[in-house]
Amino acid sequence: MYLSLSHLEKSYKDPSGNNLKVLGPINLSVETGEFLCLLGPTGCGKTTLLRILSRLEQADGGKINMGSGRLGYVFQQGALFPWMSVESNVIFPLKASGTAGGECRSRAEEMLNQVGLYEFRKNFPHELSGGMQQRTALARGLVTEPELLLLDEPFASLDTRTGISLQEMLRNLCGRLSTTVIFVTHNIEEAVFLADRIVVMGHRPGKIVRDEILDMKWPRNRLSSSFTEILLSFRRTFEKLVDPLTSSLTEGKESEL
Amino acid sequence: MKGEIVHDGDIISFTGRFNIADMREVTSSLEGITASETILNFTNCKSIDASIAARIWSVSEAKKRKGISLLCQSMNTDIQKTFARFRAIDNRSIAPAPKRTLLYNFEDIGDRVLATWDTVSGLLSFTAQAFRALFSGKVRGPITAYYMEQSGVMAVPIVIALNWLMGVVLGYQAGYQMKQFGGELFMPALLAYSICWEIGPMMTAVLVAGRSGSAFAAEIGTMKVRQEIDALEVMGFNLYGYVVTPKMIALLIVMPLLVTVANFAGMAGGLAAGGFFLKMPSAVYIAEVRKALIPFDLYWGVVKSFFYSTIISVTGSYMGMRVRGGPAAVGKATTSAVVVSIFLVILVDALLSLVFVHLRPGLSL
Repeated sequence: MYLSLSHLEKSYKDPSGNNLKVLGPINLSVETGEFLCLLGPTGCGKTTLLRILSRLEQADGGKINMGSGRLGYVFQQGALFPWMSVESNVIFPLKASGTAGGECRSRAEEMLNQVGLYEFRKNFPHELSGGMQQRTALARGLVTEPELLLLDEPFASLDTRTGISLQEMLRNLCGRLSTTVIFVTHNIEEAVFLADRIVVMGHRPGKIVRDEILDMKWPRNRLSSSFTEILLSFRRTFEKLVDPLTSSLTEGKESEL
Repeated sequence: MKGEIVHDGDIISFTGRFNIADMREVTSSLEGITASETILNFTNCKSIDASIAARIWSVSEAKKRKGISLLCQSMNTDIQKTFARFRAIDNRSIAPAPKRTLLYNFEDIGDRVLATWDTVSGLLSFTAQAFRALFSGKVRGPITAYYMEQSGVMAVPIVIALNWLMGVVLGYQAGYQMKQFGGELFMPALLAYSICWEIGPMMTAVLVAGRSGSAFAAEIGTMKVRQEIDALEVMGFNLYGYVVTPKMIALLIVMPLLVTVANFAGMAGGLAAGGFFLKMPSAVYIAEVRKALIPFDLYWGVVKSFFYSTIISVTGSYMGMRVRGGPAAVGKATTSAVVVSIFLVILVDALLSLVFVHLRPGLSL
């Protein structure tokens, strides 16, 4: 087991100074090499959980047991450094981890080759398309060969076709590196396509409402009946979360606004 | 088909299509509800637009706080979807602001005091961390040189122009007053003291706070918004060492030089004013200035500039780091950086003035 969380909780102060509980209690364990998708509606605390795991924020309560290996993080908008070229962006985390100069360059070039950006290594982020920027971000996240890779809706702002090709690329790269992955998304199809295991989080305060290991082999066919069946099953769960009012009314019950 | 509302005891039925034109009718119907439980029936309702859904939602929340429940019944899918859009909205943004009672005013004052204390303690802690990084980390040469150019070299023309003009104005006004009593020969000394002790360092600090303090806050704030700061932190960089200290070092180097330039520019302005308005020969002006000033007066401006540069670089960086949310927050941080920097510069200047009178040779109260 690479990671285990027990009774993890997080609250924020709202503008009136009241405590607003956004997360928890969360109990979760993640196996080494597992590709886990955290699925949930907007505002359910998925990103907060990721930020706690990356130590960008502190939990208010609970316990985190995590391997002490390298960590990679891919942000929703890439968060590339605009003053650096693609190559320098990818080299940057290697420098931070103390890798020698020559090795930095060769590893960055290898990673850029894998994401198909070697020819664009001298370009700056603003000269790239959204998909290429996210590929650079992926390369930067994976170049240190992290033991844990956290991704916060990295493909949310991309068009469907680019998103799908990047999903395949991500899955292949992570499989090759045996990286443990926690991938946050609110896109059900993306989660079903990518994940070994899907954890669905409910509305604020975010709690786990469904945790399921997917019984599907890789590579996955989006048109297969098993894929569609799982997709629909998660869609039903998700719709209830998005609007409890809708689901209860559909079932013929009254609901308090 | 226009929307119509029918009241039948504790059931309110919505019929037809509702849009913003029906707002008044919907609001008065809902706000008039006093029963502890009322059913809103949508069986014959074809559609409602977002504004009506928002109003029903906000009124129901207000009623809920008074112990009155509104129950929805038989909505079609479109109406359900319209309502679903408001589920995530924080009700406080819809609910009216609380009434300003006496107690509320006291609470408001208390909140502001606590917020100010938060800022002050945060700034002190940030300053301590920045100094720790300054003395323990390695210097990022190229980026420090970049900030030296931006905050120092690029500021030279405006610093010279402004201080020269201040020298002209002060020289003319002081000389004009003194001439009435035949004391215009004292103008160079008065002007040299004013410029070196106060005006030169202060004007330079205000200019640098406006140019560089705001730029630091905007730069770091934008990095925060674009999650670049988070990316640096995840990679294990010391943010203080990487982001703050190059700015600190750059200002610590260029501010003393700018203050010195400002002092000479100000005195040159006085020379121009003396020559033009008082017909004072340059040699006389320079001789009087040399007689009045001692090296301590010039060093004092340099000493002050170390304090000012620390205040400006740390405050600008701190305000940038505090940015939460979107681009609007960056604008606020920029404004705060300038206002707080100038306030602190003046505060520290006042404290240093108390020390100055005890330190400067030949000056006694």
